[in-house]
Amino acid sequence: MDALATSILNRIIRRIPNKNIESLLKKWNCLSADQLRALDYTRPKWMIVEHIVSFCEENRLNLKHITTLEMIYHIENPNQGTWHACQLAEAQDDAVCVELTQFKEQFKAHLHGVIRHISIKMKKHEDEAIWIRIAWGDNFSKPNHLKPTYVVHHLHTSYVFISNLMVKHKIFLCQALVIATKHGYIKDGHLSTRSLTAMRDLLLRHYQQVFPNEHSRIPQERNTLSSHPCIGKEHGDHEEMRHQMSCEAFGHSPSPKLETAVYRLETRYRGNGNNTLSDREEFFRGVVRFSSSSLLDSLRHCVASGMAEGPVTPLLSAIIQRGRNYFVITDKSPGVSSQASAQRA
Amino acid sequence: MALLTPFSKVPELNTATVLLVENEEELQSKLANALVQYKKDFNVNVRLARKLPLPVENKETRPRIDLIVFVVNLLSERSLQSVESSLAHLHSDCFLGKVCFLVTDARCGSHTQERLVSVRKLAASHQCPVLCAEHRTVDGVNAAAVRLLNILKVSAGMSPIATTALYLSSLTRCSVTSDLEED
Repeated sequence: MDALATSILNRIIRRIPNKNIESLLKKWNCLSADQLRALDYTRPKWMIVEHIVSFCEENRLNLKHITTLEMIYHIENPNQGTWHACQLAEAQDDAVCVELTQFKEQFKAHLHGVIRHISIKMKKHEDEAIWIRIAWGDNFSKPNHLKPTYVVHHLHTSYVFISNLMVKHKIFLCQALVIATKHGYIKDGHLSTRSLTAMRDLLLRHYQQVFPNEHSRIPQERNTLSSHPCIGKEHGDHEEMRHQMSCEAFGHSPSPKLETAVYRLETRYRGNGNNTLSDREEFFRGVVRFSSSSLLDSLRHCVASGMAEGPVTPLLSAIIQRGRNYFVITDKSPGVSSQASAQRA
Repeated sequence: MALLTPFSKVPELNTATVLLVENEEELQSKLANALVQYKKDFNVNVRLARKLPLPVENKETRPRIDLIVFVVNLLSERSLQSVESSLAHLHSDCFLGKVCFLVTDARCGSHTQERLVSVRKLAASHQCPVLCAEHRTVDGVNAAAVRLLNILKVSAGMSPIATTALYLSSLTRCSVTSDLEED
């Protein structure tokens, strides 16, 4: 096993807590049962890595197997690094008939055709997601396995999730995806998070949505506390209405865990305090950034507890309804004071 | 403007009702549980509200309110402002012993001291007592509930000795001393 494979193996094993190494190696299925039993996970990490390297050399494993291990590790722990969403558009008529083998062949064929040295690995996960690992080289140098790009796509949906892609390779990847899925073009989804599961739940609508409804209200979780018959709430109706409004805007708990929402403002300053800033022709450029460990839960709590006045502004509810967390807000028409509207950048 | 009046309804037998008004709605539910579960010899009804005025829809079903407690969280500016605006919706008869202020977090930080002074001035101008409570532990909530029950008992007229709410309030009302006034 060469130095590159060893360093990749080292990197993977160092990141995982010792108790998870065993299950990962079992899934990998490249070491024999005896070898797995012989590993002692209470030892320090560098010893465990040395043992595994020696077993790999016994079994004559090479870089290909190590990259498979890395891929399995990423599939099991998808919520690291930064993921970006892209959306495929203009599906052709036979886009729904694209099968897995066809997708794989076309994707690989295109990329191998444009770049001489490239390493592509594809794996289908049990939840219908196709994971693709790409190590990019160019016409002169070998593929760089230390900085692979990961792409996740659910066939027949229009979303693709990409992590760790360099700008110079973006055009090749986009072309390959468009050709393999038989769409017209691909565009930026304006959604980026650390957690792939959150992004997937948000875009594929796997969270619990709440629809506006005249009659039924959602039962609140806090009902247990005030069930004593002697305790009465004066503003009970208002509370329910606020809860309903907040869940309509941000989904019922638990919501997908987004971390940030960024609004880039290109509007005119309209406050009445500052004379030097208002009445200017050029735009007042600013960036508003919301950060939280779970942004949608925080916003929902703000509205449900009455800290923020309802109804919820469409700028915030657009996060979940349009599935994006980067917005550019511009004025509708220059010179006329009108409401700012969110547009796609 | 519909004001909350203390004597417009008939009292129920052996029952007292307390209205807890709090902008954040955190302490009031814990306090309500402590109040109804504490062992006492009369019934207690608790009404929870965020601010005054109370919704008109509940006017018929609402029992006579014997004590109104304003819960102020000294860490939040909005809490005090909400209480100040709610005070305008009380009939002046209420201030004869039926209003009480409960403040929390009085020991945390410097802004709370300024707000505590404002609350005390507000209470003194309305002749009402100020209680300080510690709301983060179960014992603190229970202690505050016991103190409120004592005041409630007198305000509802259930104290065995002939103590009226007015008499109690003149004993317990907050006074602003001269050193506070110099600030």
